[in-house]
Amino acid sequence: MSKGVVLVVDDEAPIRDILGFYLKRAGFHVLMAENGRIALEEMEKVQPDLIISDLRMPEVSGDEFCRTVKGNPVTRDIYFVLVSALDGSVNKISGLNLGADDMISKPFHAQEVMAKVESAFRIIAMQKEIKRQNSELTRYQDRMNAELALAANLQMGLLPSLRGRAPGIRYTHRYLPADGIGGDIYAITPLADGTTALMIADVSGHGVTAALISAMVKTSFESHVRLGGGPLDWAKGMNRDIALNTLPEQFATALVAQLDPGKDSMCYVVAGHTAPMRIRGGIGGGLHRPELLPGKGFMLGIDEYLPFTEQCAPYEAGDRFIFYTDGLVEVERVDRSYLAEEGLVRFSSELPEDPDIAAGQLVRQAQEFNAPNTFGDDVTLVVLDRLS
Amino acid sequence: MLNIQTRQEGSASIVTIQGKVNFEVTAQLRDVIRDTVASAQPKLLVINLEGVSFIDSSGLGLLVAARNSVDKSSGKLHLCGLPAQVKKTFDQTNLTNYFSIFATEQDALRGA
Repeated sequence: MSKGVVLVVDDEAPIRDILGFYLKRAGFHVLMAENGRIALEEMEKVQPDLIISDLRMPEVSGDEFCRTVKGNPVTRDIYFVLVSALDGSVNKISGLNLGADDMISKPFHAQEVMAKVESAFRIIAMQKEIKRQNSELTRYQDRMNAELALAANLQMGLLPSLRGRAPGIRYTHRYLPADGIGGDIYAITPLADGTTALMIADVSGHGVTAALISAMVKTSFESHVRLGGGPLDWAKGMNRDIALNTLPEQFATALVAQLDPGKDSMCYVVAGHTAPMRIRGGIGGGLHRPELLPGKGFMLGIDEYLPFTEQCAPYEAGDRFIFYTDGLVEVERVDRSYLAEEGLVRFSSELPEDPDIAAGQLVRQAQEFNAPNTFGDDVTLVVLDRLS
Repeated sequence: MLNIQTRQEGSASIVTIQGKVNFEVTAQLRDVIRDTVASAQPKLLVINLEGVSFIDSSGLGLLVAARNSVDKSSGKLHLCGLPAQVKKTFDQTNLTNYFSIFATEQDALRGA
């Protein structure tokens, strides 16, 4: 088996023969051509690993041949050694500027050429290995990207529908994961007694791990809702699930609520999360005075025995509620300020009637406020209207 | 850009943090805290947050894990120097009731 293919291009037959002799003896497969044109024809049949070409040749000269080889994406990686009768560093530099990988001055000693060939093949072997690894990495990256895109699609499928409706309410959302896939999640579950269970959560970190935990948070919420009770029971159950089933540094902030149109009341537990905003009479759009609802509490998952508290707020026909994760308001601007809850309250004071347009407007306003900085964390915004 | 410095004062280890503590830097901070706890096995670990401009839930999670880790080795974790923005995040998450928080590093070292 040959050590590689070398194409020798020279219009002087004795030089081709000498080089051919030494190269064959060293174990290389040798191709010969007497000028650049014939060499290019030869290369259409067999692609060499290395070309040793004279500079001065009739028809297609060495410099033109070199430019053609190095200008073609298919052949540009072939190691090219130019042989020139013109000595001196200026000529060497101009040869290397043509794209040649190395230069040899005439007259040369055959052993010098062979040393250069052996050295070139070591470089060629390294280049081949880098190419192989690069192609393997590209394939791996493509596969990972495809898997992430699939996971992101599946995650979108876990969210309630855009422009959703449940008895007595309409709602919509904006979900912008920071890394294609995110640790935010929210769920709306209408219950048999006419109330609606709602949960919005933000798992610490983002990316695949946070996304997996967010799916677990949603499952945990839904299973505790099915068991009955109210927001305090659901939050305690979710806290226990996360504390017992995730690693020590993995937590979630969450808001868990039960919307009760019969009592015109929304009872909720704030677990380290941003408290919701109520816009009294806000479903008709126009100017209003939004109110940040009170509430604070431990994040879910710190310790299974930590206490949580439940509180209630008015939930009246015509009210609009904004639920969101902190990624929306915690982008540091160039002047080091933040939008913060106060900024979101300001933006929410005048919203259009359509909840979906309102959600889009709020996210756009936050983006414009932060520009040129962008959201660095997952962002979820839910606009929920209590219908009359 | 996060700047972390550690030093020893008697049986206490002090970790001073400056910058934004978010998801991007938690790995770096985790390593420093873990190495400090493992190598010095301090009776008291003081984390000085005076220079922290922002902390997100990943950073809070890291501090909770640090407390758990120090608890396991029968040590104590004291936090100090919380700027207003950080204090607000601690209040929102009730963590002011979970950690021992002191105004200054000297107070934290004295445990006052």
